[in-house]
Amino acid sequence: MSKKIGDVILDLQNISLRFGGVKALTDISFNVKQHEIRAIIGPNGAGKSSMLNVINGVYHPQEGKIFWHGNERKKMEPHMAAQQNIARTFQNIALFKGMSVLDNIMTGRITKMKSNFIEHALWFGRAKNEELEHRKKVEEVIDFLEIQHIRKTPVGRLPYGLQKRVELGRALAAEPTMLLLDEPMAGMNVEEKQDMCRFILDVNDQFGTTIVLIEHDMGVVMDISDRVVVLDYGKKIGDGVPDVVKNSEEVIKAYLGAGH
Amino acid sequence: MLYREAGQFKTTYAADQQLFPIRQDRIGVITLLLVAFLGVPLFASEYWFSAILIPFLIFALAALGLNVLTGYAGQLSLGSAAFMAVGAYAAYNFQLRIEGIPILVSFALAGLTAAGVGILFGLPSLRIKGFYLAVATLAAQFFIVWCLTKFPWLSNNSSSGVISTQKLIIFGHELTTPVEKYLLVLSIVVVMALAAKNMVRSSTGRAWMAVRDMDVAASVIGIKLMPTKLLAFAVSSFYCGVAGALYAFCYLGSVEPDGFSLEMSFKILFMIIIGGVGSIMGSFLGAAFILLLPIFLDVALPFLAGLFGLPFSSATVSHIQITVFGALIMFFLIVEPHGLARLWQIAKEKLRLWPFPH
Repeated sequence: MSKKIGDVILDLQNISLRFGGVKALTDISFNVKQHEIRAIIGPNGAGKSSMLNVINGVYHPQEGKIFWHGNERKKMEPHMAAQQNIARTFQNIALFKGMSVLDNIMTGRITKMKSNFIEHALWFGRAKNEELEHRKKVEEVIDFLEIQHIRKTPVGRLPYGLQKRVELGRALAAEPTMLLLDEPMAGMNVEEKQDMCRFILDVNDQFGTTIVLIEHDMGVVMDISDRVVVLDYGKKIGDGVPDVVKNSEEVIKAYLGAGH
Repeated sequence: MLYREAGQFKTTYAADQQLFPIRQDRIGVITLLLVAFLGVPLFASEYWFSAILIPFLIFALAALGLNVLTGYAGQLSLGSAAFMAVGAYAAYNFQLRIEGIPILVSFALAGLTAAGVGILFGLPSLRIKGFYLAVATLAAQFFIVWCLTKFPWLSNNSSSGVISTQKLIIFGHELTTPVEKYLLVLSIVVVMALAAKNMVRSSTGRAWMAVRDMDVAASVIGIKLMPTKLLAFAVSSFYCGVAGALYAFCYLGSVEPDGFSLEMSFKILFMIIIGGVGSIMGSFLGAAFILLLPIFLDVALPFLAGLFGLPFSSATVSHIQITVFGALIMFFLIVEPHGLARLWQIAKEKLRLWPFPH
């Protein structure tokens, strides 16, 4: 792989997140470098999804600092993450069920649209041009993900694997600089996993998108990621390149139990 | 055979994204508009205009307004009639208090007033959802009707809040006959339906539907929930407000606050449930069903009774009418929960293949 890993673009320092008395994350620090694929792994309930939610502003950590491109980030609302070019997919598919594939992916570009509802109502000026301009971009995403044949299908009718792919498409449509993927391969068969891996690597390679990935399939994680963070019970127990993490005493203990 | 897309190739995105991409649909809509604008005025009787067509169009417009809010943006509301009342009384007051204001301008201002009130009562939607929101909008229903009765200024000090609407003068011409009123209502409804269709097929509509389907995902994508929901309330109330103004000025001529009852709000809600939640055409189908069915039963039941020689009193007929009406609503909800619009869609999909099985 000839890609260049750049500087740190996201730096999380001493993040702690509590829900009442439940400690979801305790004193976690790690960083993400430009153009890398960064995996977050850990047993169930380790706080992986919470971590992603902290990164894109759905949860607000009680302690800790977040630096985005070197600037400390203030408390933010989820829609502000989109403006900072952070896109994500969800563990349980969070597509807009009543809309077609095309409309779902078009929605991904909503922050890039400037026209207002009056222009839309009159179908006048910017409204029409924008619609066409963004359609072109969306079709590129559709081509990339090889889902041309289903563009007009309501997403509710699609099989699971394709829905996951459409969700990736919706995130890609925003042309993000950082993409957060929450278990993109959960529940897929081998073939679908291979396709998804190919798309993730292609996104990383062709668009230079930084990817933060949560995944349970260790084979996939060790194969495609550049660095891995391991969480257990809301604490960080490992961080480094896949080979180092794989052989770490503590990580093996967390996954296989102490007696192993 | 007739309804088929074969051979209609789209070579540009503009062609693919037009309002009615299928040629047969375009022909159908144009025919329908021609019939409505030219054919109907030639043949329909005065009774048809003032008792059926005008109220049908007005309620279709109100249902369209509610459909924007409930069907597209997913916010349940039980205050549609109240927003119509705001529109009716606002139009009356603008006519009354501003010298020489054109009637269409006061209709538009009435819509804007209703939109303002709608935003106010839409504020709870930022915190609550579903049935709880419906209860909050119920407050609008009672509060607005109470206000209109309580403050005599709003009805120009008339007793019990009854207002008699001013003359309908457009470009110096007074509309008096039902045909003229019908054409006015029809024009307004067509323009507004078109505007609604345009909104729902563009990013405004996509934002509404995104909020409806999955609000967390919508906000992560970058949709601001608050403005999106409030815009839905504003647009919806605007439509209801204009419908209310038309209801007062073109249909009844004289209205009272209690006329805009909760029952009317429910009626509008039933229209979109029967017609199709989240469908522009469903609003029209639902309005037609809810308004025309009782009239149809009124005529059909005594006829049937006569046919079988059953001695029906008029009271029995009206009871049976209610029973049949309720039963039909239940039947439709069970057989096709997505409404008449979905039935129409399924029929179209079948027609595309007919007479071949696949």
